[in-house]
Amino acid sequence: MTQNQNRSQTAGLSDVFQNDSEKDLYLESYMYTTAAALVGSIDKIVTVTLREGRVFIGILRTFDQFANLVLQDTVERIYIGDDKYAEAPQGVFLIRGENVSLVGEIDLDQQDKDLEKRSQIPFPEAQRIRKELVAAKQAKTTKERELMLSKGFEPQS
Amino acid sequence: MLPLFLLATAKGEPIQVELKNNVTINGYLVDCDSWMNLTLENVLEVDATGEHFKKFPQFYVHGVEIKGVRMDENIIDRARQKEQRARNWNNNNNSNNNQRRNYNNRYSANSSGGNRGNQRQR
Repeated sequence: MTQNQNRSQTAGLSDVFQNDSEKDLYLESYMYTTAAALVGSIDKIVTVTLREGRVFIGILRTFDQFANLVLQDTVERIYIGDDKYAEAPQGVFLIRGENVSLVGEIDLDQQDKDLEKRSQIPFPEAQRIRKELVAAKQAKTTKERELMLSKGFEPQS
Repeated sequence: MLPLFLLATAKGEPIQVELKNNVTINGYLVDCDSWMNLTLENVLEVDATGEHFKKFPQFYVHGVEIKGVRMDENIIDRARQKEQRARNWNNNNNSNNNQRRNYNNRYSANSSGGNRGNQRQR
């Protein structure tokens, strides 16, 4: 009975979704939810974005219920605009789960295709540029905020 | 092999801890617990700008403040070996239950091999 139900459900899914990749994204096709959903990504190259916006790329070796992650052969990568990137090797890196905002498997071909378009620059230089960009963005936000307040609007957040 | 087991394997080795306020701490890991609280020795603290350094003989890091920990390259292999050894040890002990029972019975009253001091006095 349950099996039949399952089968009809799966059949239903194939009607709903146009292709397999779309079906993969459907949550019910995962055995586990929350941090345990990472089992499928183990020993694969993943990208990890921290809450502060830094990006780490490496082989996911282990994780736990807090989404503490252990990456091997890690690199920290900074993308600048559409034409530059920088990399710094980090070795074995344990990331505390609190700081993680995003984990995703990487399609190596797509990555290479993207990196071909970009030129690599030294990491400290990229850090400097990123710092400037963040500062500029912050200054702009403060300015907008002040302007809105002067007009009697309460800016959001 | 969980992340915290890996950290426990790194005891006695140099690690680099990055804190949430971007302070970096280089030192030898003495101990860690399940909250990722760490004690370190021979610590060099680098501040967020990367320009100022401080040395400490002993150092305690509250786990909540940690962003990430950098460790030695081959730590993963060694943690796997350690885990395997622990597993083997468990298996051996379970399969040798008979031997253990013999060992426990050796000094019981009705075993012939018992030569406890008080028996001799009687």
